[in-house]
Amino acid sequence: MAAVQPIGRANRSWSPVLRRVALYATLALVALAIVFPVYWMVTISLKLPREIYRLPGLWPQAPTLENYRELIVERGFLINIRNSLVVAGATTLASVGMSTLAAFSIVRFRYRFKGLVGRLILFAYLTPTSLLFIPLSVIVARLQLGDTLYGLVIVYLTFSVPLSTWLLIGYFRGVPAELEEQAMVDGTTRLGAMLRILLPLSLPGLAAVGIFTFTAAWNELLLALIFITNENRRTVPLGLQYLITGDVFLWGPIMAGAVLSALPVIVLYFLAQRYMVQGLTAGSVKG
Amino acid sequence: MNRQHRISRRRVLGRAAGVGTVAAIGGGAGLSRLEEALAARRAPAVLRQGAPLVYWGGLIFSDEANQMLVDEVTAWGEANGVATETVMINQNETNQKVSAAVESGTMPDALDMGLDLLLLLSQAGELSDLGDLYATIGGGEGGWYPSVDASVAADKLGGAHTGIPFGASGNLLFSRTDALEAAGQTPPPETWQELREMAEAAQEPPLYGMGLALSNVGDGNLQISVMQSYGGRVANDEGTDCTIASPETAAYLEWVSSAYEAGLFPPGATTWDGAGDNTAYLAGQAIFIANTGSVSIAMDEDDPELAAATSYSPLPAGPVGRVSPINPNVRAVPTSTQDQDRAKALIEHLQGRDFLERYYAVAIYGPVLQYQADFEAFTGPVRAGLADLVTNGTAPGAPDVYNTAYADFSANFLVPKMVQRVVVDGVPIEQAMEETQQQGQAIYDKYR
Repeated sequence: MAAVQPIGRANRSWSPVLRRVALYATLALVALAIVFPVYWMVTISLKLPREIYRLPGLWPQAPTLENYRELIVERGFLINIRNSLVVAGATTLASVGMSTLAAFSIVRFRYRFKGLVGRLILFAYLTPTSLLFIPLSVIVARLQLGDTLYGLVIVYLTFSVPLSTWLLIGYFRGVPAELEEQAMVDGTTRLGAMLRILLPLSLPGLAAVGIFTFTAAWNELLLALIFITNENRRTVPLGLQYLITGDVFLWGPIMAGAVLSALPVIVLYFLAQRYMVQGLTAGSVKG
Repeated sequence: MNRQHRISRRRVLGRAAGVGTVAAIGGGAGLSRLEEALAARRAPAVLRQGAPLVYWGGLIFSDEANQMLVDEVTAWGEANGVATETVMINQNETNQKVSAAVESGTMPDALDMGLDLLLLLSQAGELSDLGDLYATIGGGEGGWYPSVDASVAADKLGGAHTGIPFGASGNLLFSRTDALEAAGQTPPPETWQELREMAEAAQEPPLYGMGLALSNVGDGNLQISVMQSYGGRVANDEGTDCTIASPETAAYLEWVSSAYEAGLFPPGATTWDGAGDNTAYLAGQAIFIANTGSVSIAMDEDDPELAAATSYSPLPAGPVGRVSPINPNVRAVPTSTQDQDRAKALIEHLQGRDFLERYYAVAIYGPVLQYQADFEAFTGPVRAGLADLVTNGTAPGAPDVYNTAYADFSANFLVPKMVQRVVVDGVPIEQAMEETQQQGQAIYDKYR
């Protein structure tokens, strides 16, 4: 027994260390897999074409901001960023507002075909965009919304509102109705109860839906490609797409554009990452 | 509590009804706008004189050429009192843009396109007959090049000249003379077999011999030309039935698969995107590529050393001859254009000698009219190669009949897919040919 004890102690003392080493090694590998493409994107954005093609390396031999200058000064990429901010911001505000009311209605009221409406909302979201772009283009053209940023916002709402509503339905169901009822007993209206009780309690869910909608609108390419023609109304994905002409990819400016366009989304996620995880997981399990 | 709930619900429903009323009014306004839009589409040209003439130019890999085109259209508009709106459309996205525009009735007044789209839109009756303009432009000194003229012949395009060619594209063979000469080889190779032998002698990975795409992209369809130069045919002489399964196609597949097995193609050539060969060449990883010329512009700007080590020549020949198709780029006027005369006048202006002489010097196109051969632009190696291609190249699709079925066959990348079945999946050549024969016949059956 006495001979066994040291071995046992050794096991007990080494196992946590080994486990920790294994844990950190795994985490480092995962982090590397995630961070390396970002690192590569940044380094390519700091290289000139010859170095990109002929001298591939992990570190730029002659770092330069020339790609950023070309992108911003010669190709007006800041206009693309401004357009994307307008479109994604407006889509997010409108989508969160509309889907909040829609989800509130479905969760708190009783009326005919409520379940059917809820399911149709989900089906609307599941329809592939590639099937819808031609019918949408007909509607957009006839309403004379083509080649306008507000037209693009309206088109994006047709996709973002169903998803946002569906996510918020799950989140609102997790908030006890009794809390709003108590507020109404104290004299507030139904709308007041929603604004003062439900929405503050649902902030993580609203934040998650907002960020999700913003990211989707920020990154969307196909519909923007169809509905936006004028150079001054192109969004960020379109601006990047136009850096590919024919069979030539301008890798330096493309990567510089990718870095610049990722910044707003990175900042947004950094500020609201806690809400994002909390909101999405809550909605997913309580629906 | 329930009472409170019911009352609140009524209130909410009442508010919803109010919102609905507002929406209905808004909808009415939307309908008015819809009617206005439809009326505008029906309005005669005289009522739309204030609307700008919208022109979709094809964006190419030369900022200077793109800007020159925009400036020329603007200057023409100002000189003629016509408001113009020029939008440069990325040629990679022309099909999507045009599909949506045709359906929604928002086609521009004039636009640039390639031959495939011209064929489809012409046969759908979406493009105007520009026969008079075609004859006027071609009636000058020398006229159209025969190969260009044959490519856009009216009988191929629904009985009318619907496209005015303004530049010819096609593939040239790019060769790394430094690597080849170091291995005792003298480019250019005259045949595909000779190319393979030179590649084998000179390649030293990561510098690979044959930078030819075998993937499902436009560059991959170069393999159709190689197959045809071995005697293989996509379809019969009438262009009605697929005839790809043949001993000649088998000989081509033998050539390409043996080269692949010998490791002459760069890794990933079967999955390259449209820029795969460009990237491989610019990265110094390919001795030979077939390219329309964009790589030479990139080299001139970014890698003069590589440009100096590159020579240009026509595509090699196969056992039955050289197949090197030209692909004219054209300007067209949709039938939906209200002011056809002004659209045609713009196109005629853009065919002017002064403009084209400057434009060809910065764009990568071969000439379409015979007098243009004297332009200084066509004295440089790449553009001279393109001019030679227009003179000695083959018609699109030739020796096959270039029709809608052929365009559909090409768009489905059946030949590169057939090669992939052999070199990636390890399927026997006979089986790969038979599979492609069935797929190809299904396409040709659609157009009977």
